Amino acid sequence: MTDFKKIEENLKTEAGRLLKEGLVTVVLSYGKGFDENHPMPYAAKTIADVENIVFNQYCNYNMARYLVRYPQGTKIAIAVKAADSRAVIQLIQEEKVKRENLVILGIPVQGMKNPKTGEVIDSKTTCGLYNPVLYDILLGEEVHGQKNALPYEVLAEYEAMDKDARWEFWEKELNKCIRCYACRKACPMCYCDPCFIDQSKPKWADKAPQSPGNMMYHLTRFHHLAGRCIDCGECSRACPVDIPLYLFHKKVAKECEEMFNQKAGMSIEDKPVLVDFRVEDSDKILE
Amino acid sequence: MSRIGVFVCHCGLNIAKTVRVSELAEFAATLPDVVVAKDYKFMCSTPGQEMIQHDIKQYNLDRVIVTACSPLMHEKTFRKVIENAGLNQYLLTIVNIREQVSWVTTDIEEGTAKSKALLNGAVYRARLLAPLTSRVIDVNPDVMVIGAGIAGIQAALELANTGKKVYLVEKNSTIGGHMAQFDKTFPTLDCSACILTPKMDNVLQHKNITMLTYCEVSGVKGYVGNFDITIKQKARYVDHSKCNACLACTEKCPGKGVSEWDEALVKRKSIYIPFPQAVPQKPIIDRESCTFFKKGKCRLCEKVCEQKAIDFEQQDTFIDVKVGAIIVATGFDLMDTKPLVQYGYGKYPGVYNSLEVERLFNSAGPTSGKVTMRDGKEPQSIAILHCIGSRDKNHHEHCSRVCCMYSLKFAHLFKEKTSADVYQLYIDMRAAGKGYEEFYNRLSEENVKFIRGKGARVTESTEEPGRLIVEAEDTITSKFMKIPVDMVVLSPAIVPRAESKDIGRLLNLSTDKQGFFMERHPKLAPLSTMSEGIFIAGVCQGPKDIPDTVAQALGAAAEALTIVVNDKMELEATTAMVNPASCCGCQNCVRVCPYGAPGFNYEKRVSEINEALCKGCGLCASVCPSSAIIARHFTNEQVLAEMEGLMEF
Repeated sequence: MTDFKKIEENLKTEAGRLLKEGLVTVVLSYGKGFDENHPMPYAAKTIADVENIVFNQYCNYNMARYLVRYPQGTKIAIAVKAADSRAVIQLIQEEKVKRENLVILGIPVQGMKNPKTGEVIDSKTTCGLYNPVLYDILLGEEVHGQKNALPYEVLAEYEAMDKDARWEFWEKELNKCIRCYACRKACPMCYCDPCFIDQSKPKWADKAPQSPGNMMYHLTRFHHLAGRCIDCGECSRACPVDIPLYLFHKKVAKECEEMFNQKAGMSIEDKPVLVDFRVEDSDKILE
Repeated sequence: MSRIGVFVCHCGLNIAKTVRVSELAEFAATLPDVVVAKDYKFMCSTPGQEMIQHDIKQYNLDRVIVTACSPLMHEKTFRKVIENAGLNQYLLTIVNIREQVSWVTTDIEEGTAKSKALLNGAVYRARLLAPLTSRVIDVNPDVMVIGAGIAGIQAALELANTGKKVYLVEKNSTIGGHMAQFDKTFPTLDCSACILTPKMDNVLQHKNITMLTYCEVSGVKGYVGNFDITIKQKARYVDHSKCNACLACTEKCPGKGVSEWDEALVKRKSIYIPFPQAVPQKPIIDRESCTFFKKGKCRLCEKVCEQKAIDFEQQDTFIDVKVGAIIVATGFDLMDTKPLVQYGYGKYPGVYNSLEVERLFNSAGPTSGKVTMRDGKEPQSIAILHCIGSRDKNHHEHCSRVCCMYSLKFAHLFKEKTSADVYQLYIDMRAAGKGYEEFYNRLSEENVKFIRGKGARVTESTEEPGRLIVEAEDTITSKFMKIPVDMVVLSPAIVPRAESKDIGRLLNLSTDKQGFFMERHPKLAPLSTMSEGIFIAGVCQGPKDIPDTVAQALGAAAEALTIVVNDKMELEATTAMVNPASCCGCQNCVRVCPYGAPGFNYEKRVSEINEALCKGCGLCASVCPSSAIIARHFTNEQVLAEMEGLMEF
């Protein structure tokens, strides 16, 4: 099992070193919250800040979310778990951050827990990887013998539904939405400012938390994340009314992978799949 | 408040047959902001046009909706109409109730209902239309022609004769194309080389033509009037500016490559010119078979070259040119008949395809014009099989159009050059062309055996080794036949050049099911493409004979000229622009634009659109997640309003 204390120590050591040597101006990781189960995103900017850094099994937040907030050229160190590193890769692909401005502190981790339920987070709601895909410094022992990640296994039940049943399912789920936009806030790939839903010219959808505005918001967001969602599951965990957003994202990711043979955020050499034309692209999408 | 006029066209009975046009006009009159609504038999006729102009003045209209045919047909007409009446031409909306309604239904209820919905949407949209100003751009006067077969040559000469500068790009080391491979041409049986080579020489001599042989188009940017082309000059390993065409090198060369020109029937040298009348008459080195490139030793050609023209270090180079219009004439390939194993091509040496036979007849060919087979013997009986892979649902559904006639030509030449029995196995004899039927009649009297039935299979004779058996059903007598022959000639389907896919992609040309380039309109714009300023000529558009190819080339030259003859041209005002306040910097627009119009401003972290390059296709607007891109004339508001109008039904 993952030694969380050890990772926290390593994190502090590296953060302290990087800040001291002036290699970065900010270290994005986790800090104390109101209790141990609720750590917070934390940006350490001075050596004194480093003491506040924590890392435990509830540090779920995808810190890549915060990368786009800093002006271009800021030297940033960022602590990433497996899916988080994929978000960083995807942001590099989309030229939102530059690789050379980042020091990626990789955290191999197994046994993260959802503070709401206390359950271990597995490939049901995330991409199922334990080791970061891209890092400069690894802060712990690589998780060996991790079983083949089966991030799409959870889709079996959903895929068994027919078209009408799926529509009914999402209508029911999305009608719960209170339009708090926590999913958007938590998502590392939702960086539009303004988001289409906040615009008034044209007004794409009703802003009141009801159908069809809810449908319009979520379906458009799903669509905007097609081929970009890195399956960290943060949107679903952030959701106060427990909409299983991960299901839709996984379904789209799976189709994308089958159709274009590319998984979001796996290599900085890749190009964003839906806006990249390749001769060998499948024509299935047109059928 | 808008003042909208709605004009419903009957298009004779084309629309009126399946849409109740007067009901549609009455319906239009009830819609808010519609001041006047009328229907008329032919809105595009002069009285129709005058009616619109009259009503614009009488009712003081500020928006006009014409419900008629596709905007591809008459949008320009009606724009002129309203402009002449004092309205901005972009305040027009066309509702297509012909191609999208009346022609796709037989049910008048359905047709009328859909027309109402479309019209309602158009009224919603029309209210939001804004006047726009067309852009005027400079036009580059030069033209590029891709492919130097007979089509490309003819088009280039025609344009050059008008004084325009032409870049003629050819991927082979000589111009001439397939026509230069032929011996005789049907139906007149005049010598192909005798009519083609003077034209090839004209190209070489013409001061207005820049001949770019052994070149490929590798990049295309820009748009009508201003294309920026990158051309790859493949390394020839011979400096053509020094070479004096003495061809001493080709005599000494020990290398042996496969002669593409002679359809691989013989070998040629590694440093070579493809055929004696090649233009330019200067050799290139084939890297694949050259002894020096293979083994690192030899350089005999270098030793004998007094001009010191051989350059083994030569690299591919890139040439940039700017042109105002492009003509694509990339020609054809024969379908590879090897996969059709029932005909034994590639398995039995006695089976030939038609281009190989063309070379056998040619006095500059591998047999110096004698009809001898791969074993050196003259055939005593020959079967010519039509429609191999064409008119065949399993392969190519289209008719290759020229095979019937060249097969007749073959039969005639076989009769002339050998004493063989000649069989024609055909499905239908298609001889529609000037003098073609007469040619067929002539052949009927030349003791050629015509069998109406498609060749089904070619096998080797078990009794006489080397002899082939052609199996077929004579559909006239309903008899199953087995014909023993020495030689089988296949007339394979004509398919687009393998490379035409890449050219199509570079130039954004669409292709039909078979891969031939699509014309803008099959009848009324057969040489234009959906990409403005790019025209097609010859077999790359569909199988055709030499007269049709030449006619198309002349037509394409005229089309290109209509663009480059003016120094300025007006472009659609329907371009896209970025609202920087909403741009999220995702660069989706930069990645999807086929014209390279959006660029990313790294300092401001927003996209910017170069309107000179924008064609107004709207791709950028549709992939913009934060709707920061406004496609003029198709703004989000306009499109959403139109949808709202549609949804009301």
